Amino acid sequence: MNALKKILVVDDEPLNINILVELLKGKYKMMAAKSGLQALKAARSSNKPDLILLDIMMPDMDGYEVCRQLKEDEKTKDIPIIFVSAMSEDMDETKGFDVGAIDYITKPISPKTLESRVHTHLALTQQAVELREAHALIQQQQQRMQDELNVARDIQLSMVPTTFPQDEAIEVYATLKPAREIGGDFYDAFMIDSESLCLCVGDVSGKGAPAALFMAMTKTLIKSYASSDFSTASIMTRVNDELCEGNDENLFVTVFLAILNIHTGELRFTNAGHNYPYLIRENKSLLTLNQKHGPIVAAMDGLVYKEDLITLEKFDTLFLYTDGVTEAMNPEEELYGEKRLENFLLEHDCKEVKTSIDLLMKDISTYENSASQTDDITVLSCFYSGQSVLASLTISIENQLDNIRLITEGFDTFCEENKISDTPNQKVNLALDDLINNIISYGYKDNKVHTINVAFKRLEDELIIIIEDDAMPFNPFDGGTDNTHLSIDEREIGGLGIHLVKNLMHSCQYQRKANKNIVVLTIPL
Amino acid sequence: MQLTSNEKNEYKVIEFEGSLDTATSPAVEKQINEFIDQGTLKFVFNFEKTKYMSSSGLRVLLATAKKLKGKGELKISNLNEVITEVFDVSGFSTILNVYKTEEEALS
Repeated sequence: MNALKKILVVDDEPLNINILVELLKGKYKMMAAKSGLQALKAARSSNKPDLILLDIMMPDMDGYEVCRQLKEDEKTKDIPIIFVSAMSEDMDETKGFDVGAIDYITKPISPKTLESRVHTHLALTQQAVELREAHALIQQQQQRMQDELNVARDIQLSMVPTTFPQDEAIEVYATLKPAREIGGDFYDAFMIDSESLCLCVGDVSGKGAPAALFMAMTKTLIKSYASSDFSTASIMTRVNDELCEGNDENLFVTVFLAILNIHTGELRFTNAGHNYPYLIRENKSLLTLNQKHGPIVAAMDGLVYKEDLITLEKFDTLFLYTDGVTEAMNPEEELYGEKRLENFLLEHDCKEVKTSIDLLMKDISTYENSASQTDDITVLSCFYSGQSVLASLTISIENQLDNIRLITEGFDTFCEENKISDTPNQKVNLALDDLINNIISYGYKDNKVHTINVAFKRLEDELIIIIEDDAMPFNPFDGGTDNTHLSIDEREIGGLGIHLVKNLMHSCQYQRKANKNIVVLTIPL
Repeated sequence: MQLTSNEKNEYKVIEFEGSLDTATSPAVEKQINEFIDQGTLKFVFNFEKTKYMSSSGLRVLLATAKKLKGKGELKISNLNEVITEVFDVSGFSTILNVYKTEEEALS
């Protein structure tokens, strides 16, 4: 049972108070105030009324002022106020509503009217309170759902690697673009040992936090089994059994799992209900890896998955993706589709894994236009160069200009020993001279001794040079316009070295890792 | 880097042996400036025995060409394959007088 509602009657005439109290006392708990000040005090007390019947004409403080003050106060503004007055002109009523009254009753009072109005307003106020509470609850739920989505997205993005295995024989890059309602995609790329590269891409059914957690579980299981099991079929079989256990949400996941021997090019793979990857050959032909090795994972326990073994040719690129790519839609609800994807892969240099994936993501965004992305989009590319290091040399020097010759002379000897001809030898010496000169001349603000490391790796038909220094962060290849078209008088001296390096080397890359600048140059042999 | 100079047909012919880079450029520039200060204004730089030339070396050539502009001559000859490429990439082949051989430069 609800406690009786409290009604405060405010009037300077005790007789009037008595009339109202008598009329209502059976159904409500009645309170009384004989002046405006008393009324304010009662309304602000801990025992505040649920409704106020307020006389207008009172000495000291009239009803309008009482009403105005109550409506200004955060604690009392929601108490419904009904004016009770002998005055019945329109002007007064308007003024009453202006200061915030909810209703107006004129004397003489009809008991029925009074009762029904009081009842109605109490009920309305109660409904308003309930509505407000319901609204707050809905907002809270919405926030909770949004928080859950954010958590899911965080789980998803923190689970997938953003740095990739590095080796002369391979180049890997992958990216995942979550949909607004997380779809549960994942990818992974890691070295199991010095020659085995594990690659996988998966797509969990369902959305939100459950999908993200299931994805995290799947990825973790694959990685842990792959550390001791080199058969993709066996790994998938074990992952399936493990995931089936306690899968109350009936989630499932499609997975493409591959292990590449980076020295032999042998690729062992298992496709569990995932869309077919592509193999892009150097002659720009496209091969679909359409072997199936079992159904989706986590649907049925005790299944035994199969695997295939192929050998990659040098300069092949393996391209894995999830259906978010092909099912991306434009505003007309047409799919991006396999044909468009295949054309993209044929028309672009997929060997440049990062560049081509960045371009593909841009192409998909452009295609989607204003349409919102409904599923996660994941792509992973692995370029297999098959190159191995035939010889290598590392030289370390202190940051003195005179020491540059230790590197160029050391490299000269390395070239003689490893049958590197004069042209690349001279070009690399020039590049080293200019780059290291820059580092020593402009990279250090202190007068301390620093070490600069230069590593040379001779592959079959390429030389890789890695320059590592702890100077202040500086990307030498960033910007810088050359002025090589200018005449002798207009020429500024400076900036030319980098221009030469960029032109003489096949590729120049810079990255900042921890406190080190790392420049990687390549030149064909 | 070793510099050898000979007087031929009013020109001072300088042969550069070694590499013209960060380490060697300051001394080379000093030597050339001394020749100019002594009154030599017509040069042929023969790079037949130069292995490579970094931007430090190019700077020396540019500074020399600027000094001689309007009052002397600088001719360049016998560039190897890589230095020729460096000259092309840097635009030096269009702002300096480059000859295939020392004989062509002198004639």
